Amino acid sequence: MSIPLKGQNKGISPVFNKRITVNIKHVIKTLFIHLCMILIAFFFLVPILWMLSTALKLRWEIFAWPPEWLPREPHWENFREAFKRVPMWGYMWNTLRIIFFKVIGELFAVPLVAYAFARFRFPGKKVLFLLVISTMMIPLQTKLIPLFSMYVRFGLIDSYWPLILPAFTGTPFFIFLMVQYIKTMPRDLDDAARIDGLNNYGILYRILIPLCVPALTITVTYTFLWTWNEFLQPLIYLNSYEKYTIQLGLEMFKGMWSVEWNLLMAATLSTMLPVLVLYFFAQKKLIGGIATLGLKG
Amino acid sequence: MSNQRKCHKMQRWQMAIAFALVFLFAVSFAFAAGQQENQAAGAEETVTLEWWTWDSEEYDEASQRAMAKVFEETHPDIKINMILMPVSGFETKMTTALGSGVGGPDVTFFSIANWYPKALPLDDLIERDNFDTSIYYDAFWKTKTQFDGKTIGLPLGVGAQFIMYNKDLFDEAGVAYPEDDWTTADYLEIARKVANPDKKIWGCEILKRPFRAIWFNHGEDVRLYSPDSKVVEGYLNSPGSQQAYEWFYDLMRSGATPSVSDMETLSSENTGPVDLFMAGRLGMATLNQGHMLNAVKEGMNFGVVREPGLEGGERYVNAWSLMVSIWEGSENPDESWEFLKWYVGPEGQKFLMDNANLFPSIGSVAKQYKDADKDYVQGFLKVLEDTNVAIWRGTHPSGSKVESGIKDLWDKIQLNLISRSDIKAELDALVPAAQLTLEEAKKTLGK
Repeated sequence: MSIPLKGQNKGISPVFNKRITVNIKHVIKTLFIHLCMILIAFFFLVPILWMLSTALKLRWEIFAWPPEWLPREPHWENFREAFKRVPMWGYMWNTLRIIFFKVIGELFAVPLVAYAFARFRFPGKKVLFLLVISTMMIPLQTKLIPLFSMYVRFGLIDSYWPLILPAFTGTPFFIFLMVQYIKTMPRDLDDAARIDGLNNYGILYRILIPLCVPALTITVTYTFLWTWNEFLQPLIYLNSYEKYTIQLGLEMFKGMWSVEWNLLMAATLSTMLPVLVLYFFAQKKLIGGIATLGLKG
Repeated sequence: MSNQRKCHKMQRWQMAIAFALVFLFAVSFAFAAGQQENQAAGAEETVTLEWWTWDSEEYDEASQRAMAKVFEETHPDIKINMILMPVSGFETKMTTALGSGVGGPDVTFFSIANWYPKALPLDDLIERDNFDTSIYYDAFWKTKTQFDGKTIGLPLGVGAQFIMYNKDLFDEAGVAYPEDDWTTADYLEIARKVANPDKKIWGCEILKRPFRAIWFNHGEDVRLYSPDSKVVEGYLNSPGSQQAYEWFYDLMRSGATPSVSDMETLSSENTGPVDLFMAGRLGMATLNQGHMLNAVKEGMNFGVVREPGLEGGERYVNAWSLMVSIWEGSENPDESWEFLKWYVGPEGQKFLMDNANLFPSIGSVAKQYKDADKDYVQGFLKVLEDTNVAIWRGTHPSGSKVESGIKDLWDKIQLNLISRSDIKAELDALVPAAQLTLEEAKKTLGK
């Protein structure tokens, strides 16, 4: 059977014809789906685009009617002005430093505590675990005064210690997460490792932790996000202007009688970048971890 | 690798972690102790005061830091540690510090009545130094420094609410600018004329609550309760009060205001109608001196006039001052007093007036205001001459409680849930509950 060549007006086989039709249908369907997804993505991006638009406007242009998506004249200097008005770079650096130590603290404490709860039998284990978990139910506001009072007496106010130290005892949410995760792993792994001569620490650090990467990624990512967005505790514990964190810096754009929306949006957009970068790098593990652990945002 | 070696390696690792932890904690506490020792050592020579403040249109960060430096130059034994914090976080931080009884500031704003019991009484210090308190405007001295029969602070600056109007919008609509003797009926009419619904321009904003200056302007009986804080009947539901509510009812149906949802959405962050006014979408707005300074900065073409009233009636103004006090837990009350009386005295207020935009609470200083010849400043100073609502409200701490109890009627009018003729009956129906709230409030707050 001869294959019809280009230019020949007859002889296009029905199979080939059908394949072309199917391909076109597939392309149209894919295009349609992608178009829908782009539209939905655009819908979700609207607030961010509005932020960008606001960041480039004059202060009172923001409330103009009808709303203007494109600034009459983009004021890129708003970004410069925002960073000049409030030392946001310094605040980003301060926040990153706190995050770094908090992540170390969580990664140190959470697996240890969780391992104990997941694998050991000891008197009062259930009560103790319940106690740890129940601390999640106590709102921070109710603990604020005793905590503040304690840190004042320790002389730790206006330092980063009150923000960092609690991470070295583990955050109950992450402990709970890790306990559940470790529990899903067969004990046979522990037994095999023990037969090979590993002690408890060896089992934890050489066998279990490498298998807990999704849970640990969530711990790191959430520690990053929560610390990045934390306002209340830095406000209470820090006094020196130069030691402030990002969220305190952003609040400085809200004055007594008005809000400098354009500068606030410029600063907020800039401070979103590190979070986006983190998500970009962690998304695979994060999504995997969320799926495995059954977490939802 | 043999099991034994593995075990040894693991033990070394554990030891390293243990050492690291011990080191970490040791460093933290050594650092803390060091801080305390330094503070103690420093105390022998100079005293460092902690001054908590915020940044505002009237006194920005730079001018406050500069002021503190000038104070330090003239008072070499006292150092000022100025702690600048976001306005939005000030209340939380103060409440936490005062609640814990430690870690509070030496000197700061006592802007919330719940904090007053924690302020250091100043009467002895005032008497000891013969500090002349008559320099302050009387109304602010009476309402912003006294608590439980004691003087607990000094009044910094003055503020007031007034009507700001957008001259460009008035010119566009061909409406004459309001004058000081304007009435509530004039206000309605002007708002209607200036409004341009096609362009989403409104004549005025939706008022936030009743029993403010414009309510008081409706007559002597338009109060929440009697001046002796005993009776609600005949005040809350007085003919004047009914008239004020009816006026608000007419305003809400005049088509001159934004919708409730527009107002709620656009007046975010508790900045009131300022954003809409600055965007040229409100012909008139009830604003204050901070907003006015913003409008000046943005080069807006605006005017200032007092709130409207009834023809020939007494005029009131909702004016205030910010009380600066010494925390009762301050370890350096004498030095704190030195700073307080300088900062809120003529020197400090003049410095903030000249180098920032403070409107001083001291008459002799206010007369030297740098832009006193400007229309807006004259308008503002004229507003301050009216009777201060705070004189009544300040001696009646139960007012806000009773007012919050009658909020339903306000909401019903806004949401068009009642008719104009129902207002009298609604007010009458509110009286028993308001009386009960007053009795309860008096028990906890006193007269």
